[in-house]
This record gives sequence, structure tokens and C-alpha cells, in this order.
Amino acid sequence: MHRQGDVLVVPIAPADLPPGLIDAPRDRRHRMVLALGEATGHAHVLTGERVALLSPPEEPDRLYLLVEGYGRLVHEEHGPISLTPGAYRVVRQREYFPGAIRFVAD
Amino acid sequence: MDDIGLAERAESWLAAGLCAEPADRAAAEAGVRAAYAVAGLAAPDRIIWLGSPAAGAAAVAMLSTGTDGDPYVWEWLAEQDCVPGRAELGASVRSKVRTGPWARARSALVAELGPVGYARHSVATTRRCWQQLADRIVTPLRTRLTEQFAADADEVGAAAQGALLDAILGQHDAAWLAAYGDDSPELAGLARVARSAGWWWAFERIAVLTERPDQVHRDNLGRLHHAGGPALSYPDGFGMYAWRGMPVPDDVAAQLPELTADRIRSESNAEVRRVMLEYFGFDRYLSESEATRVQSDDFGVLWRLDLPGDEPLVMVEVVNATPEPDGTRRTYFLRVPPTVRTARAGVAWTFDLTEEQYAPQQQT
Repeated sequence: MHRQGDVLVVPIAPADLPPGLIDAPRDRRHRMVLALGEATGHAHVLTGERVALLSPPEEPDRLYLLVEGYGRLVHEEHGPISLTPGAYRVVRQREYFPGAIRFVAD
Repeated sequence: MDDIGLAERAESWLAAGLCAEPADRAAAEAGVRAAYAVAGLAAPDRIIWLGSPAAGAAAVAMLSTGTDGDPYVWEWLAEQDCVPGRAELGASVRSKVRTGPWARARSALVAELGPVGYARHSVATTRRCWQQLADRIVTPLRTRLTEQFAADADEVGAAAQGALLDAILGQHDAAWLAAYGDDSPELAGLARVARSAGWWWAFERIAVLTERPDQVHRDNLGRLHHAGGPALSYPDGFGMYAWRGMPVPDDVAAQLPELTADRIRSESNAEVRRVMLEYFGFDRYLSESEATRVQSDDFGVLWRLDLPGDEPLVMVEVVNATPEPDGTRRTYFLRVPPTVRTARAGVAWTFDLTEEQYAPQQQT
């Protein structure tokens, strides 16, 4: 598994990808964005050859990566991460707050 | 439409939803008349303006009950020759103006795209708008207004709480309008108001429109967040303090700049103490209190501090993997559940993994 700031990508068996995944929508610059900072505009972005950012149609916040060629995770404030072929689950970092759990602002 | 077109539409609507400029009153009023026309209604006799959703809801409450209510709101109404007891709102037409057209536009889109196509279209256009506007701004704003009106235990307070449920959200309706084009004939009027003004109310005889905020301050997750003043404020002076999305009562906000660790310790209200702790900084509070260094490993340092009458504050101190431009590394603190016993288990928890599962090969 690899961590880039507040995003963790965990390898999983391709057979464990949920059925019925669809391509997550691209952003305005046609990028595959795993997470976006509202104030900084900085984003964790997947690039590479034959890569896909996927999600279940009804659960847009559950993201998966499928890398068939090579993948690269980039972010304005963190070093790039190379991803070898395979399937990955994306996990956003969270923070404990009594009575609630909140995501971390990277 | 392709992803880029949908993403552009979503960004443009999010910008409209966050817009903090004075209302374009002429455009908003034209939008109101168009929305009434689509609903098969005659245009309202009068369109009046208030400075915030708070004043708008109060005005609706005062006009519907014929009661004087808030003197400031009464003044604004009087200036527009629309005095409670004399002006007639008529019945609410919100369902005809907003709910009906929205339902028809949605049905048409589902029929056109099919269920999976519609789901993907919604994600591409409204996911971020809904999260950023409905969840992060409208919900806390509505909660604050409900509390404020509930404190007025009179007829106007009760009517104002009712008015909150009858509001059309103007720019904040971008949360769902982003799924549709501005040129959708059914929604064009609503869209025009949404691009031009804040919350509004539609009645047979009178439409009550309100201004957009003059300031909106958000953190990197889009939560209302500001240190030096209200995170959300309107041109009539109504405002809301918030820290990382947590609404802060006005009297607490006034004390924040002068906080000390002792003052926080002596605060008996747990909710208020949590806000104070967040504002003061967990790291600063730990260093100025008798915090215990529980454990350390390759993943960081685990700190623990007992709080009287509350669950203990347990935090992992971690070092940023990517150095700053000057070569130093930033340290930061993450709060974890009090059951956590090691730094590694703490960091693992923040990614919803167990201590054994959490083993990053690479961190940047």
C-alpha cells in the first residue's frame, strides 16, 4: 500500500473489485481526481497508461483504481507514487471527533 | 454531454452557489416572473428584498402572521411599503414553482439516460455541489436559524421556523440545478434566480427575495471556517461563526482570541470546550498541559491527556513524509479514538485499517 498525504491506496485482488463499477467522472481538465482540496485547489490525480478510476454508480465516494499499464499518483505538495499493474482501493484519511468522524483536510 | 462539459457545468454552478457578490436584482426578478409563468401562475404583484435568509424568514413570518416582530426587519419592510398587517402574501406557491418543475426535469432526465446513466450524470454534475453547498453551508445555516427562531417563543418565532421549510434556496439550489442546463425550459426561471440571488420565498401575491452573503470562508474540505470573524456573513449584518464546520456561538467566538489552557480546562460545557480546543490547537494544548507521552514507534508518537468530565484526548503526532521547500518537515497531530494504544494503531485507524493491516511501502 502507498500513502500520499491524506490518501492511501491499498492493493486488492482484481477479483475483489465490486461488480458493476463505472468510470468515475473526469474533472474539467479531464483529470482522474481521487481527492480535491477546496481551499488550495490541490488534487490527488491518477495518470499513466491504461489506468482507470472507478466507482459504484450509487456510491461515488467509494473509489477504486485499475492499473493495466502503469500508473502514477501525483499531487502538488507530495511526491509522486508509481503504481504497478493491479487493482487498488482508495482510502481517505479521517480524524476522530467525539460523536463524529471527520475527513482530514490535506 | 461529455465529462468535460458536465464538469464545467458543475464548476460554474458551484461558483454561483458560493458567490458572495451583491444580488443582480433585475435578473433575479426576471427569473422569478419566468418561474411563476412556467408554473402557470400570474406574476406576483410585488417583489421585495431583504438582506439575509434570517431577515427573509423573519419577514415572511411577520407578513404571514400580521405581527410587528423584529424592528429592523419591520423598517426594511416599511421602506418597501410592505407592512405586516396590511400587505397580503397569499398562499405559498413553492411546490408549483420549485418542486413540480424539478420533479418533471428529473423524470425526463432518467427517461433519457436510464438509471445507470442518470446516476453517473448526477455524480458528474451534482456530487460536489451537493456536498459543498447543501451539506457544508445550507445544513449549518438552517440549524443556526432554527435555533435562533426557536429562542423566540412567540407566534413570529414559530412562523419563522415554518418559513425556513418553505424557502427556495436561490444560489444554494445550485446543489441540484447543476444536473440541468440553464436553458432547460422547465427550470430556466429558477436557474436565473439561483445565478442572481440568495434564498427566496414564493407566494401568490408577493415574492420575498434576499441578498447573497458578502463573505464565505471555507477550509480545504469546504467546511465553514474562519478565525477573525464570521465564516458566513450577509450584508445586513447577520453572520455565523464557525471553526472547521463547527458552528460557534457568538459569545464563545468573542472569547476565542484570548483563550488559555486554563480557561479551556475550566469550561464546563463539553461542546464549547471542544470548539475551544480545536481553535487553540491540540498540539499547543498538549504542550501547555500535563500530557502523557504514551508510546512511540516508526509511525509517530502517541499522546494522551485526560479531560475532566469528557473522554480523554488521544492524539498521534506524525511527521510529514514530504519535506517543506526549506528542507524541514512539518509535524501534525491527528485525534484518534481513546481506545488506541500505539502510534501505528492510531495512524492505521485514520485509514480505517487495523494496526497489522497498516504497512505502507511508500509515503510521500
